Amino acid sequence: MNTAMYVLLAAGMVFFGGTTVAAFYWAARTGQFRNLEAGARSIFDGDEPVGTATDSFADRRADRPVRRPGSIA
Amino acid sequence: MSATMTEPHPSTVTPETERELRSAIDASTRLPVVLFYGSAIFWLLIGTVLALLASFKMNAPHFLDQWGWLTFGRVRPAHLNVVVYGWASAAGIGTALWLMARLCRTPLKHSKLLISAAIFWNIGVLLGTLGILAGDGRSIEWLEFPNYASFMLFVAFGLIAVWAVIMFRFRQPGHVYVSQWYLLAAMMWFPWLYTTANLLLNFQPIQGGAQGAVNWWYGHNALGLWFTPIGLATAYYLIPKVLGRPIHSYYLSILGFWSLALFYSWNGMHHLIGGPFPAWMISASVVASVMMVIPVLTTAINHHMTVRGNFQALQWSPTLRFTVFGAMCYTLASLQGVSMAVPSLNVVTHFTHYTVGHAHLGLYAFFTMVMFGAMYYILPRVVGWEWPSARLIRWHFWMVAIGIGMMVVVLTLGGIFQGLALLDPNITFMATLEYTKPWLFLRSISGVLLSIGHVIFAVSFTLLLLKVGVRKDEPTLFTTDEDRQPEVSQA
Repeated sequence: MNTAMYVLLAAGMVFFGGTTVAAFYWAARTGQFRNLEAGARSIFDGDEPVGTATDSFADRRADRPVRRPGSIA
Repeated sequence: MSATMTEPHPSTVTPETERELRSAIDASTRLPVVLFYGSAIFWLLIGTVLALLASFKMNAPHFLDQWGWLTFGRVRPAHLNVVVYGWASAAGIGTALWLMARLCRTPLKHSKLLISAAIFWNIGVLLGTLGILAGDGRSIEWLEFPNYASFMLFVAFGLIAVWAVIMFRFRQPGHVYVSQWYLLAAMMWFPWLYTTANLLLNFQPIQGGAQGAVNWWYGHNALGLWFTPIGLATAYYLIPKVLGRPIHSYYLSILGFWSLALFYSWNGMHHLIGGPFPAWMISASVVASVMMVIPVLTTAINHHMTVRGNFQALQWSPTLRFTVFGAMCYTLASLQGVSMAVPSLNVVTHFTHYTVGHAHLGLYAFFTMVMFGAMYYILPRVVGWEWPSARLIRWHFWMVAIGIGMMVVVLTLGGIFQGLALLDPNITFMATLEYTKPWLFLRSISGVLLSIGHVIFAVSFTLLLLKVGVRKDEPTLFTTDEDRQPEVSQA
């Protein structure tokens, strides 16, 4: 039982260590570390653009404009 | 990569369709988020009662001690585990689910996995808490839950980790935002840490001093690779989002994530300075603890510089006020943690209330406050109903902010005096305990303030969930005074 447990733990270490290194490699290869300016803006969109505070909640009814605190940047 | 990477199909995307997609994403997370948040708040109240009991017993040791299950040795670990697994983890998972869906830009899939996880989670916390109170707890700090309870949590962790991988697989193409890195790290690594620690300490216990090493490797990683990444992911999303300003330096945020990943898991051994361990283990851990200055300062600079010039926003936004309070305390708690890993300071603070103050600065003033902030942002969007009353939010904030501030200050000061007294061979042990009494009394008062805040928050949450009152079309902000609020524009 003990041996099986240690094999499991060792396999887990290799797997999780390996995925972390792989994730870093993947990030570098797919350009996640490039164009950081665009990355920082990726949480904004046309409806909640940079320069608009968003402490209001989205409403499904698109016909009614959502009132929100304006630009404070 | 070009800038268009983050802007899919600009011809077909209008602000209206973006708003609809966001609403659909928020609505898709409703049941799991409300389940995790609701149970988190329930356990917060239970954990608070246990905390008050434990704290009162420091002043009056015989208080309620005629019942074995309410003795200090059981109430105190029950408090720790209820707030760590019942409150903080469940609140963190609820926030992480919503953030994952938003950052993947896709409605939440496979919510049954998450609902099952929430059920397993609550059964686990309930069994574990009852187990500890019944005298079935393991005397391993942070892992006191008996095996039958930790197995339930293990299943829940597994379901959540699988869900996270599936969600990430189905994300919309584009940039992986820094918050998502933190969340994936937490959801991948922590279930494994939890499993490893339970296997080595509860299932097939290893022998001797090595137990201490595994214990603190786990205990510190619970903070460093579970609560910290979830808390920072939340702050890295909410602060820019509420302000409408991108993170000051995205480069620093990425550096912060990878340096945290590199250094944090080494930190645990600094809890064992002076213990029966090979010197290299302790030294490596102290070095890694000091290296934590890098991720901490990158985060501190980023959050401060993002908010700078907009601190007036803390007057009106509940989300921002709680989150920024938490982010500032992250810096404080982490730098304090670094200093406590330095052996010459550790010799004073170890085994004193100073450490208890530090733990509350980290898990409450940082993590819990960020979670409150997240709930104030997320719940109205998910439920489709605004918070009922700005006054309740204001009371909640001031009660918990003053409460936690007071608790950290009195435990820190009391801990320093206690530590210096313990080092003085001319002072008897009983006398060192006498010194702590006034500080512990003040700590109980701060606990009462926190409890009031929690009850107010629970009332607020219940009113929101039941959709009491009239429907509001505007967010519940602190100030309604038009000239103190930033100018209001029509979208």
